[in-house]
Amino acid sequence: MFEESMKKAILEWDEDGLKKICLSTIENKEATPAEIIKSIGKIMQFVGERFEQEEIFLPDLVGSANTVKAVIDEVLDPAIKAIGEERETRGKIVIGTVETDVHSIGKDLVGSFLFSNGFEVYNLGVEVPAVKFIEKAEEVGAQVIALSSLLTMSMDFQRQLIQELEDRGLRNKYKVIVGGSPTSEEWAEQIGADGWADDAIEAVSLIKKLLP
Amino acid sequence: MKLNRINVLSKDEILTIHSAAIELLSTVGIKIDAQDTRNLLEKHGAEVDQENTFVKFPETLVKEQLKKVPNSFKLHGPDGTFNFEVNTTSTQFATIGTPVKIYDLNNKNNIRKSLLDDMIKQIRVVDSLEHINNSHVDVWPNDVKYTAIHAHAMYQWVKNTRKPYGLGCYGKVASQDMINMASIVVGGEKELINKPRLVGFFNPTSPLHFPQIMTNGLSVFAKYKQPTIIAPEALAGSSAPVTLAGLLTQTSAETLGGIILAQLFNPGAPVFFGTVSCITDMRSGNSALGSIETTLITTGVAQIARFYNIPSRGPGSVTESKCFDLQNGFERLQTLMLAAQAGINYITCAGTYESTLAEALELLIIDDELAGVVKRLLEGITVNEDTIGLDIIKKVATERKPGANFLGEKHTREHMKNELYIPKLIDRNRRTTWRKKGSKDIITTAREKVDQILQNYIPPEIPVEIETQLQDYIKKVETRSLEYYKNAEGISTSSISIAGTEIKIDEK
Repeated sequence: MFEESMKKAILEWDEDGLKKICLSTIENKEATPAEIIKSIGKIMQFVGERFEQEEIFLPDLVGSANTVKAVIDEVLDPAIKAIGEERETRGKIVIGTVETDVHSIGKDLVGSFLFSNGFEVYNLGVEVPAVKFIEKAEEVGAQVIALSSLLTMSMDFQRQLIQELEDRGLRNKYKVIVGGSPTSEEWAEQIGADGWADDAIEAVSLIKKLLP
Repeated sequence: MKLNRINVLSKDEILTIHSAAIELLSTVGIKIDAQDTRNLLEKHGAEVDQENTFVKFPETLVKEQLKKVPNSFKLHGPDGTFNFEVNTTSTQFATIGTPVKIYDLNNKNNIRKSLLDDMIKQIRVVDSLEHINNSHVDVWPNDVKYTAIHAHAMYQWVKNTRKPYGLGCYGKVASQDMINMASIVVGGEKELINKPRLVGFFNPTSPLHFPQIMTNGLSVFAKYKQPTIIAPEALAGSSAPVTLAGLLTQTSAETLGGIILAQLFNPGAPVFFGTVSCITDMRSGNSALGSIETTLITTGVAQIARFYNIPSRGPGSVTESKCFDLQNGFERLQTLMLAAQAGINYITCAGTYESTLAEALELLIIDDELAGVVKRLLEGITVNEDTIGLDIIKKVATERKPGANFLGEKHTREHMKNELYIPKLIDRNRRTTWRKKGSKDIITTAREKVDQILQNYIPPEIPVEIETQLQDYIKKVETRSLEYYKNAEGISTSSISIAGTEIKIDEK
């Protein structure tokens, strides 16, 4: 029952409505916060499918993802912590735009879709030096490092990060994926990345494949 | 504000052309073949030379009759539920041309003679489109007996669309057949007159000639108040002066002549001030509908029509290209977009190429997309507090959270569909995505849409008794010979003269 009203709230970007539904669902013991997050994941998968079938538009998708993120951050995560548990995630991802590159929208879309699909996302922003990616990944125990680059001039920093991982003997510890308009599958292969995705939806499926 | 209209004539220039057209009408006049039409004009003060059959229209007659012309009217589909208005500010999109061939991927030359089945498909596709509101007898059914095509077309219209229809007002017998068949469908002549279903096409023969068969047809369409497009098809340099001002003057006289005649047949008869005039190609002698000069002519006619306060009709999506190349693309957009920018109220010819001699359902789908694009263009830019959006700019720009952009804002969601034309065919994917989706060009995507429309098409339901009456009517029409038509129309010769050519009528 609560799933239907949650779906409606997510599709209508009704952040307050979604918060209320979550709180009352927890209070009535219809589901635990962790179960609610799983349901939200399913709903977001449905939203993603509608987007892929061209039934809804990009803003519809982004708005739904933003709504979900606010509710998880402000209601569900605290509720999980309150009972002394940790949120179960499908994996931890460190994401950012590489050094000298300030483009953020595409990378942020990837981050927000990953989040709403149940991943824990550490978005480091733009112009992120290789060492920062590595330090963060080490700190949080990430499985994936996702690198964005929108400039041909900045693409090489993706290669340099992989090199840095190798130099530090950490290459096998992480899956490194790359994306951004000048990049390609060939480029990913050439620099020894573990994967490449064309858009945010594809990035989600790629990571699901890499982290079975 | 909305997009400014484009103009090619100053106010003074419009007045100069108007005066010259009036001078032509009153001093040279129009050659009118039909004796009874000449008599009607004479009764209303026109000066008739019964020998050379030229009829001079005095200025007073023109002025008096122009007062009776309506500046708006509605067109309805067979059951009346679908309808739209044509007025002096509307931008409506429709088909028409003279396609006798159709694009066919399975044919070795990609082109073949068009058949009844193609005509049906074209009507169905138009019925399913968002922006193209009217079909006419465009796609010629080469497999149907010539003398009964109009009856078969009317039957297919009723069976396959919810939108209005149109046909050439080619003779009083055929025109009356169309009126009779439409009356059967809509429940009587009164309903047909009150809510018109059919657009008639009246094409003068330039220079300054109204053949008998056309005035015969016009009299019927005017009698039943079915909106009729008075549209000369003059070619600058062959059937009109090569100078565009000369062509506009001559065709204005022809169009005014047709409009006045319609008012004499029935005061208040709805008409379009139309054009399909273009230029003669100076190398081949062929017409060049896709030329840039056509758009200048069309724009001039739009302005002249507004001067008379009569809805205008002009060509768009026209091209001389014989294949799906860039010429096809730029000529169709150039003529469509500029006709809309000129303020033409009823833009025709969607789906055609090769000077409208060929049809492609794929192009029809593309033209629907282009019509959507053009409509968006005409809307211009809306400026108000909400569209300026100071609050939303401030919110996003000062947002601390990573990932702040306008995509996820309600402002975007609320305005996106009005502000942005969201294409159905135009591909904006990145190359990789495009490749993954099959590396399709727009023709392929359009063909898939055509297939999808035709596969899922549900035709309107027609009561059995109406269907029977229509079929009986067709049977009656099919028994007639060409000789019957010629006698009924009062055409004694066995040939029709068209500007420097002679087409023999061959009943076989």
